[in-house]
Amino acid sequence: MAPGEANSGNGGQILKPFTFNEIVLRNRLTALVVDGDNFCRLLEQGILQAYGLETQSVDNGDAAVELIASGAKFDLILIDMLLPILDGLEATRRIRAMGVRCKMLGVTAFSGERERQAFLAAGVDVFVEKPLGPEILIPILRELDEQYPSI
Amino acid sequence: MERNPLRRQLQIMRKSLFDQGYLDEQFVQLEELQDDSNPNFVEEVVTLYYRDSARLILNLEQALERKPYNFNKLDAYMHQFKGSSSSIGAKKVKAESTLFREYCKSGNGEGCMRCFQQLKKEYATLRKKLEAYFQLARQAGPMETACRPK
Repeated sequence: MAPGEANSGNGGQILKPFTFNEIVLRNRLTALVVDGDNFCRLLEQGILQAYGLETQSVDNGDAAVELIASGAKFDLILIDMLLPILDGLEATRRIRAMGVRCKMLGVTAFSGERERQAFLAAGVDVFVEKPLGPEILIPILRELDEQYPSI
Repeated sequence: MERNPLRRQLQIMRKSLFDQGYLDEQFVQLEELQDDSNPNFVEEVVTLYYRDSARLILNLEQALERKPYNFNKLDAYMHQFKGSSSSIGAKKVKAESTLFREYCKSGNGEGCMRCFQQLKKEYATLRKKLEAYFQLARQAGPMETACRPK
């Protein structure tokens, strides 16, 4: 089976429009991963690092706000909704209130329309139901990469 | 057609994991992150998943021993479990997680308990199948694949 292919239940082949290995970034982008679940946080960091991003991570909303308030700057923030200490909605609001305009992805196991609207209203640019797939991530990474001038 | 018999067996095993609905396309996407610099990426991710989610399974078991059920707490644990299960492409486990959360929302304690028992079976079955798969993959040796561009 070639990469990028998977079987549907009836034995048919599914060709993916994107695969994780389809992009080469010219710039060293930076990302912050905010997720209270150890596994999800490490996995999302691993995926971003595989693309050459420099990453940091924190496991609660309060730490994310503190980090941003300390002056840390990121091209991309991935933030979960359900977080300990300070939830993802409030953390997002506070980060945006500080004037941060970077791309924020709300990556959550919630799938309802109510949650989607709430997260977007709080300030994320994109609402992503877990898992974070290349069809969402790759166009965003390309867009961020193109924001930097070519050398 | 793969000539190496071990690799052929590995392909068949992999295909059955998808055909039988144990895994979905997220697993494929993880495989595509595997390369020469990360040759065991998928196995490491799956190992981490099982290590980390054991805590959530225990939390759920303990919460289901306490009556009356705290459905909010049960839902919160399962929400987290669903997120990490979906991240490795654990399709059946994810489906049971979704069903469990529906039972929580409707306050159906018996439904939660039944569903949790089924979830644990699926979780354990997937673990055994993936352990066998990775063991065979190690025996079969690395496959020549195009390197992921750096």
